[in-house]
Order: sequence, then structure tokens, then C-alpha cells
Amino acid sequence: MKIVVCIKQVPATNDTKIDPETKRIVREGAKAILNPFDTYAVEEGIQLRDKYGGEVLALSMGPPKAEQALREVLALGVDKAILLSDRDFAGSDTWATSYVLARAIKKIGEVDLVLCGKQAIDGDTAQVGPGIAAHLSWGQATYVMAVEELSSSVIRVKRMHEDGYDICEIALPAVITVVKDINIPGVPTLKGRLASLKRKIPVWKPEDVKVEKTKIGLDGSPTRVVKIEQPASRHTSTKRIEGSARECARSLLRELRMRNII
Amino acid sequence: MKATTEFDKKKYRNIWVIAELLSGKIQTVTYELIGVARNLADLRNSEVWVIVLSSKLEDNLELLFAYGADVVIILDNKEFFGFIDEMESKILKRLIVKYKPETVICGATSRGRALIPRVAVMTHSGLTADCTGLSIDPKSGDLLQTRPAFGGNIMAIIRSSNYRPQMATVRPRVMKMPEPNHARTGRIIKEGIFNSDIKNIKKIISVFHDTETAVNLADAQIIISGGRGMQGKKGFDLLKRFTEKVGGAALGASRAAVDAGWISYAHQVGQTGQTVQTKVYIACGISGQIQHLVGMQSCDLIIAIDQNPHTPMMQIADIAVIGDLFEIIPEIIYDITEL
Amino acid sequence: MIHHIRNKNFLVEVLPPKQDTENLESDLEKFCTRYMKVINSGYCVCITDNTMGNLSFQGTEIIEEFQLPVLPKLVMIHLNTFHRKDDLDNILNVCLRKGIKYILVITGDGSIRLPKLRPIDVNFTDINSVTSVELLKYISSEYPGAFILGVAFNPYEPEEHEFEKMEKKIKAGAAFIITQPLLGRNKVVNKLLKKYPQIPVIVEAWMSKKLHLLSEAVGYEITMNCEYDPIVNLKVLHNLYPECGVYLSLLGFKNQFDLIKETLV
Repeated sequence: MKIVVCIKQVPATNDTKIDPETKRIVREGAKAILNPFDTYAVEEGIQLRDKYGGEVLALSMGPPKAEQALREVLALGVDKAILLSDRDFAGSDTWATSYVLARAIKKIGEVDLVLCGKQAIDGDTAQVGPGIAAHLSWGQATYVMAVEELSSSVIRVKRMHEDGYDICEIALPAVITVVKDINIPGVPTLKGRLASLKRKIPVWKPEDVKVEKTKIGLDGSPTRVVKIEQPASRHTSTKRIEGSARECARSLLRELRMRNII
Repeated sequence: MKATTEFDKKKYRNIWVIAELLSGKIQTVTYELIGVARNLADLRNSEVWVIVLSSKLEDNLELLFAYGADVVIILDNKEFFGFIDEMESKILKRLIVKYKPETVICGATSRGRALIPRVAVMTHSGLTADCTGLSIDPKSGDLLQTRPAFGGNIMAIIRSSNYRPQMATVRPRVMKMPEPNHARTGRIIKEGIFNSDIKNIKKIISVFHDTETAVNLADAQIIISGGRGMQGKKGFDLLKRFTEKVGGAALGASRAAVDAGWISYAHQVGQTGQTVQTKVYIACGISGQIQHLVGMQSCDLIIAIDQNPHTPMMQIADIAVIGDLFEIIPEIIYDITEL
Repeated sequence: MIHHIRNKNFLVEVLPPKQDTENLESDLEKFCTRYMKVINSGYCVCITDNTMGNLSFQGTEIIEEFQLPVLPKLVMIHLNTFHRKDDLDNILNVCLRKGIKYILVITGDGSIRLPKLRPIDVNFTDINSVTSVELLKYISSEYPGAFILGVAFNPYEPEEHEFEKMEKKIKAGAAFIITQPLLGRNKVVNKLLKKYPQIPVIVEAWMSKKLHLLSEAVGYEITMNCEYDPIVNLKVLHNLYPECGVYLSLLGFKNQFDLIKETLV
């Protein structure tokens, strides 16, 4: 069983303070962390390997410092880690990113299962997992809350939906994205961290994975961010509602109706 | 598909909405998106097409026209039972290649978010997820997609200038329901499934529908959150009833309430819990310690209900309701029931 | 713990390195040096557990990896409810094996990377959330008599709730109490001492000049009219609370360590 887990290093969006004057969040040079949703995919990969045998590889596309995140997952117990890093990869949107990751998975060869976290906390799109499946023309399952069975040819999973869940079987090789309900991720051990410091993490470039240059980076991305705006500024005054409970309830509902909330 | 010249782009016309179905019934988000699509189509001088992939359709397609559709493409086949993303995406790709829509929008639901990214790769299109705004650039006619990023701290505007169709997903309840006009009609196109669509990659073993669906904090449009002022588990039972009355609301809590054992940690909002960025945050009996504020500052509208008008939460709130929670909330619940 | 109070042995807090540190090896060395300095001075080293939700290494891991000596009365670990069950049991087993006796049981701070104990993990079924009380009961029942368990008291939280919680903690097996940092006399702590005269109480002394950090740690605005001198504050606490032990947090090992003994004179 060869399992690949795709991970991403992201800025810690929670690493914020509130400016006491403006009462707005101040993002001071947010540090880079392993995308928290990916820890569930890593844990699942490790548990599946321990149960069914085989190996788990971690794969990531990012700038050179993304290597830190890969070292962290080595400390968690994955067998190998590979970094895809090059100036030409930079600026890739989800289409281009899933294309590059798909090419890398092809190069790794004989992969049975690809695991991804539900989404990345910076982009929040949840598009890369299904994107990889589409580039590879493999089966997929998203929002997986449990892996019920894994054989050499089939995986049976429980998929979460807003209105319940379903159980389906997918022919391997396949791509799965997982949700928090699937497991409780471990934290890296000291032994694991110390061992990971000595590990080699190969860096793959566009030529190593045979990508078409027109399909990667900023130029290869169908979507482009054209503007970044501050969200509407926080009000300056608070609207007070007081009186009897009846009056308060009525006034509040009136406000909510006026703002199209109910 | 790449489309860099005016000539190429002109081949793509009309705004498509991929309908969201559950047990044969068309979901509200579909009508919300038809409303948006109608506005876009009017600006583009084109039509709104709704694509329905259903198994045993139990709904009236005429309603789609009433809400603003001009054309409905329907494929009704037992193969669509359950959710087979590989098959549905193949079919959608085929329809997109055949009919060449300019824009495709879909609900950002568990199914939509599984399906559309796959389709976008197959048709080599730009896709923007969880848009909070969709508009047309007057100069180029391109779709402008607005969405929050970095935990809601910024709004990004995204464009797919050189690829068609342009794709976007939108979460339920983000767009307003349009007013139906039951005099409107439209055309129905019946399409079929090819044998090659059925790939046997996935098999549905069983489907389970939850009668009670708990909305989670990350997806909710409205969060009703309780703190020390709720005084105990009973207070949170009251808040739970409140969330159930307000559709699509999730229950949140401050650290004090979780530490007191009144509600589980999964509901904790704040620096050592979850950070949320919803449309509406209603803080009930929460004083507003900085660790809590950090977790909900990004919410669009903050409402605080408390006996004490001077707490930090009451001061940063957009609307501060001063009074007894245990009298006001039942009144609100009563009023909503009456609506 | 009574022994420490009678002999005026300080309890000195030492933080393990954070997991995301860029200088792991030197941070570990610093930790080991501090650990040894504290116990060689006859003081009790108190090792924290992922403070403020920052993913750090465990005291038990470092003690095992570097084979640091454990003198039973001189080592204390913090233990909070943000662990996976297998990790929790592992930490407790290492404590048992190594002879670590003192455990400060707290609810703790979570974060997106720290798993929270589920009620079922600590043998509870009808509660919403695992707090220090349930963790105390779990440790007492799984490892009866093995450890001396302490709990925290926060005089800055609303009194009624805090005393209610303390009653539950004592019933669950708490054998000593450590307060949040005190700046001089504290009425609420005085009440605590009156209510539980039989239970050893240790008052915490904030040894950093940066009072705003204390506000952040405790969650409430704590200010002083004049500049804060931690050594003066420590002396004051000795005088005001002679029947209590003293726990030093954020102690400056370079500049303050040699001064603390003199505060006892």
C-alpha cells in the first residue's frame, strides 16, 4: 500500500492581536504553520499504513521554507517527504497546484491512495483534492469521516453531507479528502523531531515532474486575484436597545429584518 | 478551456446554475443562485439556464422559471441516486462542451464542493469558491468574484479573464432569495446519459439522512453564543432552542462556559477555541475577554445581549441589547415563531 | 508539599521548548541547564504543559531523552486536558516509572493543534466537557496513591464560581493548591486560606517586570500605579503569606536566580 499525503504550509491566520485603538485585528508577520486540516490526513495515512502495511509519503508544493512543514510530518511518523519548489511554481492557483501535485504523484509511481485535508486555512477553497483526482482521472471522495475498509483494489468510506452521510466504495487508486471527525491527530514527539532534523527532503523542480510550463505558476492559473480590499470598516457607534423584554425583542427583530438576516 | 480573444469568448454565452437536489427535491440555494444568475444574465444580455441531474424528480420545474430561469436542462435517471461525483462531473463536462456557457455557478455545499472543482479541472476553467459577491466588470464583461480570505481579514476580488466558462460556488443563505414571478415560463431540454458516463469507479452502499442536523461553527451564517451569563446548562438549552428557531444558526460558547462544563469544547469560540467569521454573531452573557474577541472580531454584525451595558462585548457590538437574557430570549423565540 | 512550605523551598517554573523553535538543540540545552540548577539548589522544578496552547515538548519526554535525574520531591509537572488519551496515559506511565510524584492538574489552554480529552477517554459518559475535576478523578482512580495532585485557584475570576470549582476539585482528590500570580495582599486568597486550612497553598509570584504579560495570561486587565518590582513583590508575599509556599513564574535565571534566596531573610 503506497499512500501519499498532500500537505501545505500556511500563514497562521489565528496569530492575531486586536489593535486597542481601532479594535481591528492586526496580523503581525504571521508565522508559517502546517495547515491544521492536513494533520488529520497525515494521521489517517499513518493509521492506514500501520493497519494495512506499506508506506506513507508526504508531498508539498511551496517555497523553500515549506520544508519545515514536511519535517514536522516526518516527526509525526511518515516515511518519506518530498518538496516541490521552484520560482516557476509560485503564484499557482488551485488548478495549477493540483496539476503539479498530480504530476508528482505520477512520478512517485504506483500510488494507491492520496489523502488531503479538507481545505487550507488561507485559501479555504477545498479545491485541490478533487482537482488532483480530476487531473489523474482517479475516483474521489470528499468530506470523509471514516475509512471503513481498505484492500488492494477498493476503499470503502463514510462521506459526510449536510443532511447525513453515505457509505460508498471507490476503486483504487483514489483521492480522499478528510474531515476532523475522522481521527484525533497525534502531536510530534521529541524523538520524532530530533530524528527528522537529520532526514533528507528531496526538492523537485518542473523538469523533474515533466509539467508543461504553460500550465503552472501565475501564467498557468485560470484565476487571478485582481484586487484586495479591507472588509467594510467596523462601525463607530453601538446601537443600544433597551426597555421591557417585549420591546427589546421586537426592536432586535426589526433590526435583523431590516438587514435581511431573517 | 482557454479563451483569450474576443472571438473565442463570444462562443460562450449564458449563466448556468447547477441545481442542488436532495431526495428529488430542489434545494433553496438553487433559487438563491438563480436570483444572482438572473442579475448577471440581464447585464450580459443572455439567459439563465438551470441544470438538473436528478433521480426521481419530485419537484415542479416551473418554479425554476418563476425564480428567473429561461432554460432548464434535465437529466432524470436512477443512476443519479446517491452522489457519484465522477459520473456527474463527466456529464457536466459533456454538457459544458456542447452548450458552452459563459458562467457556471453552484451551491458551495458538500456535494457542490466535491463536484465543481473536478469539473473545473476537466474543462480547464477558473473556479472561485465561497463567493460572497458576483458582479460583471463593465469594461470586459468578465465575472468579478468576491470572497473573504485569511480568516476573513481581507476581501479578494478574482477574475478568470482568459478561460471559459467562469465558475463560482456560493454558500447557501449568502444570496437573497429572489421574488418569484409565476407568470414566467421557459424551455425544457431533456438530455440523456451515455453508457460511457457510467464508469463503475464508485458504488453507493448506503445513504443515511439525519433528521436532526447540527450546524457547525465553521459553516454557520449565524452563531448564537453563550457565556458565563447563561448561568448553567439550562441557559444553553435555551440558546439551543434559539438556534433551532433561527434557521442555519450554530451554537457557540465562551471559554468560561466550557470550563464550567455547561457545553462541550467543540463549541468554544476564541483564541484557544475556534475562530469564526460569520455574518451574524449574537453574544449572550459574554463579557468579551480579549481571548474571546480575537475569535469573533471578523464577524460582519455583532449583537450582544447582557444585563450590563459596560462590558467590552457590549462596547464593541454593533447592536447592544440591555436587559435580562432569560426574559428577552424567550420573547425573541416567541416572535420568530409568530412570523 | 508541607515540607517545601516549612523549608521555604521555592517552586520554580521552567517552560519546555516550543515545537516550532528554530533552535531546538540549544533550547533543549537551556532547559536541561535550568532544570539542573533548580534541583541542585534544593528547589522544586515545575514543568509546564503547552502553556497558552503553544505546542511544546513534554517535560516527561525531555527527562527521558536526556535522562535527567528525578528527585521525587523536587519535580512537578503540569498536566492539562488537551491530550489524546494514549499520550495522557503515556505521560502518567513515565511519571510512575521515573518517580515523578507532583502533578498540577489543570484544564489548560487548547489550540487548533491540541486534541482535547473526550469524556469517554477519562471514563465519563454524562458530561459535556472534560475539566481538571474529571482529570483528577481519572488519575486518582487509575493510579491510586501514586501521585500528589494539585490544582489551580484563580482569584481574578468571579469568586462564587471559583470557590464552587475548588470545592469540586478538593472532593476529587486535590492535595495542594497553587494560586495565580499575586501582587501583594489578595482578599480572595485570604478567604481561600480560611476555608481550607488543612490544604497546603502555594502563592504564585510573577517574576517578570512586564505586567501586561500577566494580564494576557490571566485574561483580565491587571495594573499597578507604580513600576512593578518583582523582587520587592516576592518579599511582600513572604511576609503576607508565611504559611504558604511560593511558586515563581518567568524567573530570570541570569539576573534573578541568585537574588531569590535573599528575599527570605
